[in-house]
Amino acid sequence: MNILIVEDESRIAKRIERMTRDLFGNSLQSLTHINTLNEALAFIENNTLDLVLLDLNLNGDDGFDLLSTAVAESFHTIIISANKDQALAAFEYGVLDFVPKPFNQDRLEQAFNRVFTKEKSENDQTKLLAIKKRGRIQLIPIADLRYVKGAGSYTELYLTDGTTELHDKSLEKLEQLLLHTFERIHKSYLVKIDEIKEIKVSSGSKYTVVLKSGDLLPIGRTKYKDLKTKWV
Amino acid sequence: MKLNLRSLSPLLLIGILMLSTSCGQTPEVFKEQRTVFQIGDNPTWAKKVFNDSNWERRIKRIPEGKIFWSRTRIDILKSPEELRSYGLQIDAYGEYEIFWDGMLIGKNGNPGQESELPPEGELWVTYSIPTHLATEGAHILALRLSNYYFPDHVGYYEIEIADYKDLLTDLLIKTSYMHVFAGAFLIVSIYFLFLFLSNRKEYPTLIFSVCCFLIFALVLLVFSKDYVSIHYRTHVIRLQIINSFLLGISFLIPYYFSMQFPYPRRRLSFILYGVILIFVWLINGHAFNLKTVSMVLSMWSFSFGMVAYGVYKNLRGARIVLATLLLSVVVFLASGFVISMYTGLGLILLGMLYLLALNIKDQRLAYENTLVQSTRLRLELLKKNIQPHFLMNTLTSLMDWVEESPKKGVQFIEALAKEFDLFNKIENETLIPISQEIALCRTHLEIMEYRKEIDYSLEEEGIDPEEKIPPAVLHTLLENGITHSLPLEDNSIKFKLIFESTREYKCYTFLTFAACMEQGTETNVEGTGLKYIKARLTESYGSKWDLTSEQADHGWRNTLKIYS
Repeated sequence: MNILIVEDESRIAKRIERMTRDLFGNSLQSLTHINTLNEALAFIENNTLDLVLLDLNLNGDDGFDLLSTAVAESFHTIIISANKDQALAAFEYGVLDFVPKPFNQDRLEQAFNRVFTKEKSENDQTKLLAIKKRGRIQLIPIADLRYVKGAGSYTELYLTDGTTELHDKSLEKLEQLLLHTFERIHKSYLVKIDEIKEIKVSSGSKYTVVLKSGDLLPIGRTKYKDLKTKWV
Repeated sequence: MKLNLRSLSPLLLIGILMLSTSCGQTPEVFKEQRTVFQIGDNPTWAKKVFNDSNWERRIKRIPEGKIFWSRTRIDILKSPEELRSYGLQIDAYGEYEIFWDGMLIGKNGNPGQESELPPEGELWVTYSIPTHLATEGAHILALRLSNYYFPDHVGYYEIEIADYKDLLTDLLIKTSYMHVFAGAFLIVSIYFLFLFLSNRKEYPTLIFSVCCFLIFALVLLVFSKDYVSIHYRTHVIRLQIINSFLLGISFLIPYYFSMQFPYPRRRLSFILYGVILIFVWLINGHAFNLKTVSMVLSMWSFSFGMVAYGVYKNLRGARIVLATLLLSVVVFLASGFVISMYTGLGLILLGMLYLLALNIKDQRLAYENTLVQSTRLRLELLKKNIQPHFLMNTLTSLMDWVEESPKKGVQFIEALAKEFDLFNKIENETLIPISQEIALCRTHLEIMEYRKEIDYSLEEEGIDPEEKIPPAVLHTLLENGITHSLPLEDNSIKFKLIFESTREYKCYTFLTFAACMEQGTETNVEGTGLKYIKARLTESYGSKWDLTSEQADHGWRNTLKIYS
């Protein structure tokens, strides 16, 4: 695991650092602490990360600029902030968890567990997906998204207007964030449940999802049962 | 308020018009013919039948208080009703005996003996005419007079004949109405004087109060003649006093309007106006009526000009005041000079009152606003310690300290308690001693040291511990300094507070010695913190302060100047 802590209060940064080391143990490859926004942006751009722990209020700056950059990346973001009233907005941006200050080790552990999907994310509020497009961050409303196709380490987002966008997060990570409105129907597909029109069964127990748009997507053998119970 | 005043003025107008119609609109019962004069003294000159064709129509001067006679032919147009009698009201300069058709009906002073005896008699008198002599037809009113004090004022008579009882009652009614009118002005004057005394900066209130008082005094002086006996000798003094009051009113009313509707070159125009008024007041000797008219007309025209300027500039209230001025012209055209003068003055004062009411309303709103503002500032001050960014970060650090070193944790809690305590002490103040403010900054630094693990220090230079400053102003600058700075290489951030005092201003310079933050963070400096500081400074110093915030080589420089 490569973890970045963005926090301008040194005592709190040390606390997070200590707890993170305790929790991840040997699986931790690198742990970096940065206390300004600009340095954090540069670091994210130039390094491969698995998790970012972010304070939204850095030196009086609004952390949402950094947040939208962070959530467009391949790693998960966990917010650790004193301002609970920012939690809703942060979840809408698609963060994995929001840990309010003051926090103890248990609460941090709970957040980390979500990284490995040991625990379901409480985030049923993701409304936006941030994507990087021509060097800029663009926010796509979840409402405009029909399904997601995994393509190696990144994903393709199929939108209602027929266009396709790329996202740096893996299908597994997006599944964690979109858990409540989307269903994994195949190892390569994540589909919005509302978009499903019918499920077709063909010979040789081949299952296909027919979307409202007319698209046909395959259903994995192991996923069929789950999908049927949820969809009906 | 607007509505009330608007509906009030027509009411007053109607009231005054009713008053003017109630007195003496009954048809005349007599006709005054020519008056002739003769120097000398002869009892037969009182007789009804006497050939006075060779008497003078006019005598310029009676020498040395000598006795002279006047004979006036009066036609009674209608005999008095049964059991009623006519009265004769006369207003003449001199001491005299009065004969009706040869019969002595009254004596006013001691004609011919004025130089020896003390002044006696009144300027305005009413005598009853015997009923049997007041029959329809021609009669002779003869006066045996002497005019010791004004030998050149011969024949300044005014005569009124009407039902004796009506004459006296009408006088009483008119006088009582005018006294009620005057009383209203007295009360208003006292009320606004008290208002002024409670807020001595409000000069329009004082001017309005003085105007009201002058009108009260004017009305009282003019209409007290019916019950206060005045000898003809002192009449000029009375007229001079009346005109002086009028001079004051004529100057103050336009002056008041100029304060409400300011225009360029006010001083110059008022010096000119004052000169014109004093000129009118001084010239023309005893032509008091002319003076009165000139002064009132100047006052009206000057006020009209100013209010018209106010309307042109679209100033608040100017239209309504202009309307009252125009209304006073309507009253002038519709009634006599005396009535229109008091009605007009009443209307104009009503317009002034309306402007004052607007002012008072503004002041009240401004006051309420400051109350709301200071409550908001108090809340903001209290919020500093419970706003989540401060409190939750502090608590998180505290948890960590407690877990790591309970002893340090306790010290941290003590520092926190101290800051909370200081905040509680200053919560209700608008100004606190600078020493208290510095103590607040120092505890805050102590807390931040536990949180940020940076060596903070605060230096003072030239501080006068007696000086006062709005609470948490420096504290806010310090917070900004902490938030927006990075430590120097030796992991320290230094603050320095310098105080300088000159004749014109007191100056606090608050310096931050720290590493520069990258570009792009400056825009946020003008945040809620600075808004709080500015609001606090305005609360205590109005506009007499100046705050600059700028980047410097060493970090940041805030300069706060408070002008005296």
